[in-house]
Amino acid sequence: MSKKTARRRARRRRVTPGGGAPRPAMRYMSVIAQDPSVKNRSGGILMAKVTVPAEELVPGPIGYRVQVVDYNSTTRKFRDAHALPATFGAQPKRWRDGARSLVDDYRFHAQNVYALVMKTLARFEFALGRRVGWSFDAHQLKIAPHGMLDANAFYSPGEEGLVFGYFPGRTGRTIYTCLSHDVVVHETTHALVDALRERYLDPSSPDQAAFHEGFADVVALLSVFSQKELIAAMLRRPASKSPSRTLIHRKDIAPDALKDNALLSLAEQMGGEMEGVRGGALRRSVTLDPEPGLLAQSEFLEPHRRGEVFVAAVMNAFVDAWSRRIDTSGAPGQQLYPIARVAEDGADIAEALMTMWIRALDYMPPVHLEFPDALSAALTADLEVRPDDSRFELRRHLLRSFRRYEIEPASPVRNLPGIWEPAPAGLRYDRVRFDSMRSDKDEVFRFLWENRGTLWTRHNVSNLERAAYSEVLSVRPCVRAGLDGFILRETVAEYYQVARLTVAELRKAGITLPAGYQDSLRRAQRETGERRSAALPAAAASGLGRSRDGFAEDDEALTTPIYGGGALIFDEYGRLKYHVHNELFQPERQSRRLAYLWEAGFIQTGRQGVRFRAARLSTMHRLRSMDARRYPAEAW
Amino acid sequence: MARAPRSVEIRSYQVGFGDCFLLSFVYGPTDKRHVLIDFGTTELPVRGQPRAPAKASQHMPEVAKDIARVSEGRLTAVVATHRHADHISGFATDARTGKSGEIIAKLKPKVVIQPWTEDPRAARDARKATRDSSASRRGFIAGLGAMHDIAAVVADLAQRRASWFGPALAKQLRFLGEDNIRNASAVKNLIAMGKARGAVAVWARHGSTSGLERHLPGVKVHVLGPPDLTQTETIKTMRSKDPSEFWHLLAGRSGLRDGVPLAQGLNGGRRTAGVPAEARWFRERLERMQREQLLEIVRTLDDQMNNTSLILLFEVFGRKLLFPGDAQLENWSYALVDAPTRDRTQRLLAAVDVYKVGHHGSLNATPKTLLWERFAHRKGNGRRKPARVLTTLLSTLPGKHGSTQRKTEVPRTPLLKALEAETELFNTDTLSFAAKNTELCHTVEVKP
Repeated sequence: MSKKTARRRARRRRVTPGGGAPRPAMRYMSVIAQDPSVKNRSGGILMAKVTVPAEELVPGPIGYRVQVVDYNSTTRKFRDAHALPATFGAQPKRWRDGARSLVDDYRFHAQNVYALVMKTLARFEFALGRRVGWSFDAHQLKIAPHGMLDANAFYSPGEEGLVFGYFPGRTGRTIYTCLSHDVVVHETTHALVDALRERYLDPSSPDQAAFHEGFADVVALLSVFSQKELIAAMLRRPASKSPSRTLIHRKDIAPDALKDNALLSLAEQMGGEMEGVRGGALRRSVTLDPEPGLLAQSEFLEPHRRGEVFVAAVMNAFVDAWSRRIDTSGAPGQQLYPIARVAEDGADIAEALMTMWIRALDYMPPVHLEFPDALSAALTADLEVRPDDSRFELRRHLLRSFRRYEIEPASPVRNLPGIWEPAPAGLRYDRVRFDSMRSDKDEVFRFLWENRGTLWTRHNVSNLERAAYSEVLSVRPCVRAGLDGFILRETVAEYYQVARLTVAELRKAGITLPAGYQDSLRRAQRETGERRSAALPAAAASGLGRSRDGFAEDDEALTTPIYGGGALIFDEYGRLKYHVHNELFQPERQSRRLAYLWEAGFIQTGRQGVRFRAARLSTMHRLRSMDARRYPAEAW
Repeated sequence: MARAPRSVEIRSYQVGFGDCFLLSFVYGPTDKRHVLIDFGTTELPVRGQPRAPAKASQHMPEVAKDIARVSEGRLTAVVATHRHADHISGFATDARTGKSGEIIAKLKPKVVIQPWTEDPRAARDARKATRDSSASRRGFIAGLGAMHDIAAVVADLAQRRASWFGPALAKQLRFLGEDNIRNASAVKNLIAMGKARGAVAVWARHGSTSGLERHLPGVKVHVLGPPDLTQTETIKTMRSKDPSEFWHLLAGRSGLRDGVPLAQGLNGGRRTAGVPAEARWFRERLERMQREQLLEIVRTLDDQMNNTSLILLFEVFGRKLLFPGDAQLENWSYALVDAPTRDRTQRLLAAVDVYKVGHHGSLNATPKTLLWERFAHRKGNGRRKPARVLTTLLSTLPGKHGSTQRKTEVPRTPLLKALEAETELFNTDTLSFAAKNTELCHTVEVKP
C-alpha cells in the first residue's frame, strides 16, 4: 500500500457522529433564474445557483420530501426516471451557462423543479424554525413537471401533488410552466400554506380567498428577487445612461426608478405567454396605484384581483426599503453606486421580507383571515425574532405601504403599531406540564380548558363550552434564528372550533342573517319536510315545533356551521405570549362572514343542510388567467 | 303602407335543444314581415320505436318548410345570435340537417344580423367591430376559432375514448364539444345570405343599429349586446391582458392550418407501459385530474361562446320583446352595469312583456337580481297583480346539459318554477312530439 492510499483510507475512516465519512449538508444546483425568456449578457438563459439541503436522490428524482413523476397524462407517456448530476461540478456545462437547449432538456426540467421546490421548503423550514410537513399524511409531494397539455399549473391536495402544464406558444415552441421560477415557487407555496393553515382554502372572507393566491405570489416574487444575479442583470440596463456597466446612478435607485428598472423590467422580459398562467401580479404591483375605496370596488372582490392588492402592498414596501437602504448606506453626495452591492442589498431585503411573511403564517388566525390580521401577524412575528429593525426598517415600510392601500393592522396596540395584543393576564399553568405543552395536543387542550374563562372574554360566552367541536390541530416547538444571530424559541399551537347553530341560536348569539338566506333555508326545510312526510305522514301532519309560516327556527337538521379558532404562541418558558384568534361567538365578524358567503354564492342550502363550496386552485388559476368576473348573486 | 305593426305573432319552434323563433310583424292583412331568430339544434326529443332522438335531417327541413309557409316565401331578416350549433345548425346546407339552410336561403332575407364577432372583416383584427384597423394582431375572433378546434378534438375524444372518461363525463364532453364545433356550412350560408343581391349583412354590437329600421317601420330595435372589446376595455383600463389570449395558449398559433397542437397532444392514445411501480399511484390521479381539467376547459369555452350572443330588444306599440340568445352574465353585465346608458337600459328592461328565456333556462343566463327581479310584469309573490303578465318563451330539452346534483341542470329547476309561477310560460318541451301528431310550434300573439 502506497503512502497516498493509506492516507486516503485513513481519511475515509475518520469517524463522524453518525458513522461513515462526513457528508456535505448542502448541495448546489443550477436553475433558471426566472424563465427562459430572461437572458444573460451573452444571450443565453439567465441562470442562478441555488442551495438546497443535501440528500441521496434516487432516479425520478425521488428524495425524502419530493417525488418527481415525469408522466404526461395527455400523451399518456412516462418520460423517464431522471438521474440528476451528483454535484454542481458534474452538471453539464450548458446547464450552468444557460444554453437554449435547456428548454427541451427534460432531465434539466426535473432538476429545476426539484431544486426550486426543495429550496422553497427549506426557506419555510428556516423561517419557521422547524420541519414543515405537507397537508397530507405522505412525506413526499408528487410533482409532474409535464403533467398535461394545459396553460395552467396547480397544487391539488387530494392528489398530493403539483401539476405543471405545458402548451404551444405563439411561435409554435412549447412553453413549459415548470421552467418558470415564480410559477414553481408559487405552487409550492400553495402546498406549504395548505399544510400550515388547512382552513385557508375554505371560503370565509374575500381577503382569505385572495390570500392564498396573493401570498403565493409574494413568496414567488420575493424568491425571484432574492437572486442577486437576477437583480444585477436587470440593473445593468437601466433607462438612464450609466458611465459603466458596474455602476448605477443615484437617480436610478429612487423607489420609482427601481420599480421601473427592476420590477417592471423583469415583468417585461418574463415570458409574455406565461402571463396567461401566472397573471400579471408583478406588473400590477408596479402599476396598481392606491386609491380610496379600492378594496371595496366590485372588481377587487374577485379573489385574483384582490390578491394583487396584497402583492402590490408588499412589493412596494420592498422597493421602498431597498431604495432607502442604498440611500442611507452611501456617502453624502455620492452619485454612483456599485451595481453588485445594490443587487446584494435588494436580494437581502427580498429574502428578509420573504422570511418575515413566512413567519407571519404562525401568527395568523387559523380561520377567517383578513388582510389586517395578516399585517399584524407579519409585524408581530418579525418583532419577536428581529427586535432591531433599524437596518432595513422593514416593519416601518410595510406598515406605510399597507396603509396606502387602506389596510390597517388588526391590532389596536398604540405604542407598537400593529403588534398583536399580549395574552391576557391571570392565566393559570398549575395544572399543565411544561414539557408536554411543547408537543402534546391533549395537554394544550387542557390548558385551553383550564383557562377558558380568561382566554375568551370579549363576548361573555365561553367558546369551549358552547362549541360542538374543538380540536387542537397542531403543537410545534420552533427555534427561530434572526438574520443577526438572535435565537428565539417558541411553541406554536393552533386550535379550531365549529358550532352548528339553528336560526334561533344564531339570532340569540347576535349574528345577523343575510337577506334571502332565511328564505333559502325555508325552502330547504320544506323539501326536507316533503321527503320526511312521504316517509312519516303522521309526524309531518302533526306539525310540531313549526312557527306560523311553517318554518321552524330550531330545526336541528338545518343548522349553519360557524367557525372559530386561534393560534397560541408560547415562549420558551411555556407561558402564553399571544393568543391570535377569531372567536366563535363574535357576532360582528360572523355576520360579516355569513353575508360574504351568501353573496358570493358559497353557501348551498339543500336537503343535506347548509354546505360550503371549497375553492379549487386549478379553477382559481383558470379564472385568473381569463381575468374572469363572477356574478354569484345573479345565478339560479 | 302601414306606419306601424298592428300585432306581432311569435312562433317558438320545436327544435329540441336549440332555438328557433319566428317573429311576424303584422302591418296589415296582406303585409306581414318576418324575422327569424336562430335556427339550430344539437339534439331532438325522443320518438319512435326503438325510442331514439329524432333525426335532424328529417325534422329541420320540416321546420324550415313551415317557416317558408308562414312567411309566404319571404323573410325580412335572419338573426343568428351566436355561432353555437344549437342556434345555427339549421342554416347549414349539408345533409346533416337535410339541407334546411337551402330552404331558408330561398326566402331571401333582406337583412342578416350577426354579432360583430362573426364579421369576416373583423377577423383580421378583432379589437374593433369595423375594419378600420390594419394592425393584424391575434385577436378575439381568432380565439373563437381556436375554441372550435379544441371543441372538435374534445368531442372526438369523448366519442372514441368514452370508456376512459366514464359514461357521464363522456356524455357531457361530447354534448358540449359538439355544440362548439365549427359549423362551416351554416356559417358560410349565413355569410352568403348577407351578401346576396338586395341583402345587407349587419354585424351588431352593443349600441349599434340593427339594420331593421328601414324594413320594420314603427319598430325600434335596441342592440344590448354583445359589447365589443373596445367597449369592455374602457372599463378594464387596469387589466393588462386579453382573456382571449387564453385560448390561443391552448390551441397554439391561431390561424394555424396544419393541425392543432391540442389536437395532436390529446390524441396521444394508448397508455404506454414502463411506468415504474412507485409512480403508478400518481399516474392514476394525474389522469383523473386531466379529465376534470378538460371538462372545465370545455365548459369555459362554451361560456365564452355564449357571451358573444346578440341581445336584441324589440320595442313595438309600447310592448317590449327581449331576445337575448344565450347571453350569460358577462355579456349582460356591460349593458346592465358598466355601459354609460345602463340606467335607460334598465328602465327599458323592467317593462319587458315577452322574454325569450336565455340559454335554454341555464342557471346563469337570466341575471337574477339585475334582470329577472326587475321585470315589472311578473305575477305572484303577493304583489299587486300586474295589468299584463310577462310572457316567457323557453326552448329547451331537459336532461342534456349539466347535472341536477351540481345544480347546473338545464333548464334549472328553480328558474323553471319561477317561470311557471310568475309568468305565462311557453315551453317547447311541452309540445307534442309523437310521430303522428307533431306540434311544430307555440304561437303567441302580442297586441297593443
